[in-house]
Amino acid sequence: MKLPLIWIARLWQLGPSRILPATCRYQPSCSQYAIEALGKYGAIKGGWLATKRILRCHPWGGHGHDPVP
Amino acid sequence: MDNQRNVIIAIALSFLLLVGWTSAMDYFYPQPEQALVEDRADTPAEQAAITDGTSATTRHTRTGGLVDPVLQAQEKADLKTALASPDRIRIDAPRVAGSINLRGGMIDDIVLKDHMEGTGDDSEPVRLFSPNGTPAQQFAQFGYLINGARIADDVVWQADGRVLTQDTPVTLTHDLGNGTKATIRYSIDQDYMFTVEQSVANTGANPAVVQPYGYVNRTSRTASEDLWIAHSGPMGVFADAADYDIDYDDIDESGSITPSGRASWSGFTDIYWLAVLVPQDGSAPDTTFRALGNEIYRADMIYDAVTLPAGQALTTTSRLYAGAKESVVLDRYEDAGLQKFGLAIDWGWFRWFEKPFLWLLRNIYELVGNFGIAIMILTLIIRGAMFPIAQKGFASMAEMKAIQPKMKAIQEKHKDDKQKQQQEIMELYKREKVNPVSGCLPMLLQIPVFFALYKVLVLGIEMRHREFLWIKDLAAPDPANLANALSLVGIQVPQFLMIVFGIGVLAVLLGFTMWLTFKLNPSQLDPMQQQIFNIMPWILMFVMAPFAAGLLLYWVTSNVLTLAQQKYLYSKHPQLRASIEEEKAKKAAEAAKAG
Repeated sequence: MKLPLIWIARLWQLGPSRILPATCRYQPSCSQYAIEALGKYGAIKGGWLATKRILRCHPWGGHGHDPVP
Repeated sequence: MDNQRNVIIAIALSFLLLVGWTSAMDYFYPQPEQALVEDRADTPAEQAAITDGTSATTRHTRTGGLVDPVLQAQEKADLKTALASPDRIRIDAPRVAGSINLRGGMIDDIVLKDHMEGTGDDSEPVRLFSPNGTPAQQFAQFGYLINGARIADDVVWQADGRVLTQDTPVTLTHDLGNGTKATIRYSIDQDYMFTVEQSVANTGANPAVVQPYGYVNRTSRTASEDLWIAHSGPMGVFADAADYDIDYDDIDESGSITPSGRASWSGFTDIYWLAVLVPQDGSAPDTTFRALGNEIYRADMIYDAVTLPAGQALTTTSRLYAGAKESVVLDRYEDAGLQKFGLAIDWGWFRWFEKPFLWLLRNIYELVGNFGIAIMILTLIIRGAMFPIAQKGFASMAEMKAIQPKMKAIQEKHKDDKQKQQQEIMELYKREKVNPVSGCLPMLLQIPVFFALYKVLVLGIEMRHREFLWIKDLAAPDPANLANALSLVGIQVPQFLMIVFGIGVLAVLLGFTMWLTFKLNPSQLDPMQQQIFNIMPWILMFVMAPFAAGLLLYWVTSNVLTLAQQKYLYSKHPQLRASIEEEKAKKAAEAAKAG
């Protein structure tokens, strides 16, 4: 379950993310954060962390250095 | 303004994915219809059918119906003969017309009063049921196996009335002569639901074994195209779950398919039409889909056999839905207890997000009375909801401009250490309280919005045959295209060239408005990205041309609103506009020098 999710994030990085201009407010990027979180905590907790990260990645959210806990 | 551009690209990419996926699926899983029919051609009649070309690869259109002009003509002629028979009881319900065939006691003639075949003034109501043996055949029968023998199809039943209306049910009677007497009482409601009360009375001296059944029989020749995004074909709700996975060729392969679990309802669907059986409450008849050969299929439900002692009667109440998939109507039946009937429309798992859009669109339409304008207003509402994001994006861009000199300094200082440079810039943002970019959420949010709208516009019968300016049917491709223009002077464009000649006015508008929005954007991209932005609008023009005009209308409106929004925001931040133009001029000069 973990690997397919990591692959989705990876495909995003290789595909759309390459063409799109950088929009990242955080370091590391959301996709990188997701890959790390999934690797460290597994599909459920890692996925939850990644979802929360995406949910705060908007103009009213925070920004800056925000690594996987 | 990064966000704006990202959104459009993300949408474009999702669309490429949609289109790519469909063609890839067609490529990897081609319809094996032809091969299967040939395999089965073992009777002379079937072989004849193949050689005269009636059952070879049948082309299916998005909305269904007969495509072959020969079959269309034959259907017309056959209908005329079949419907002229005196052994028919007229159906005249609020939304349904047609007739019941006393020969066999079946419903085999249904047209929908509120939906027309075409958009012209002389257009006829949509024909859903057509008698057995006609090219577009679809009909339903309810009957009995009595002591193992079926009541013959050529039996002419006796009727107690001449017309079936919402207020006057009609009862058909047939005395089998062996002491059993069968009756079928047909009634119909204000929409598309028939209630069928079958009963059999044993007036003889011996017990009789009776087994009630009902079925819908149809040809797949008239089926609408089965899209991965919207299933057309056999379907039903079995064991509390809607099953969209059975295709006509799946039934061909195995001869028959019996989904597991109790059927709440079962039958066949096209993109806009539905013909399904609903078994008696509390009973669980066997429900099976069968291939009868020659592109004919049957969905049947066979109740358990009952031994009926002398002097007793058995009554079974089934229902038949034969009508349009109007979301409101389907949901009303579901609310009245018909399990998951709203799922007859293949909304997919995303329906909780799609239905509010449908609701909004329907209500706006009722308010303004023109579906094209309703789509434009819906676009305005969606863009309005997104406006604060764009505004915020502009504000942060202006702030960015203010700290530009400090950033340049950092970049100079850490020229060789990218990592360090990134960190320092992040620090700077923090110190100056600048939000650098809008982040990925606004962009990701727009993908589901667009997808939901796409599904609503593809699936909703609400958009069928709705007019807007020169467009007679917003659910069909733009008629003002090159191919149609050429056909006016007698040139027929072959199907494979439609990718070029299918381009219509709306598609060109789409490409042009999108090109304009890109042009108004700051060009701070690398050359590869710039190239993509230059080409993208024109590629999308071709990709989008075959889609429903309503969808293109949405996109064009959205682009125009984006342009207006950009103009407005630039006027609020004039220094941005100046700096962007300066930058563009600089880039152009550099390019000229390099060239």
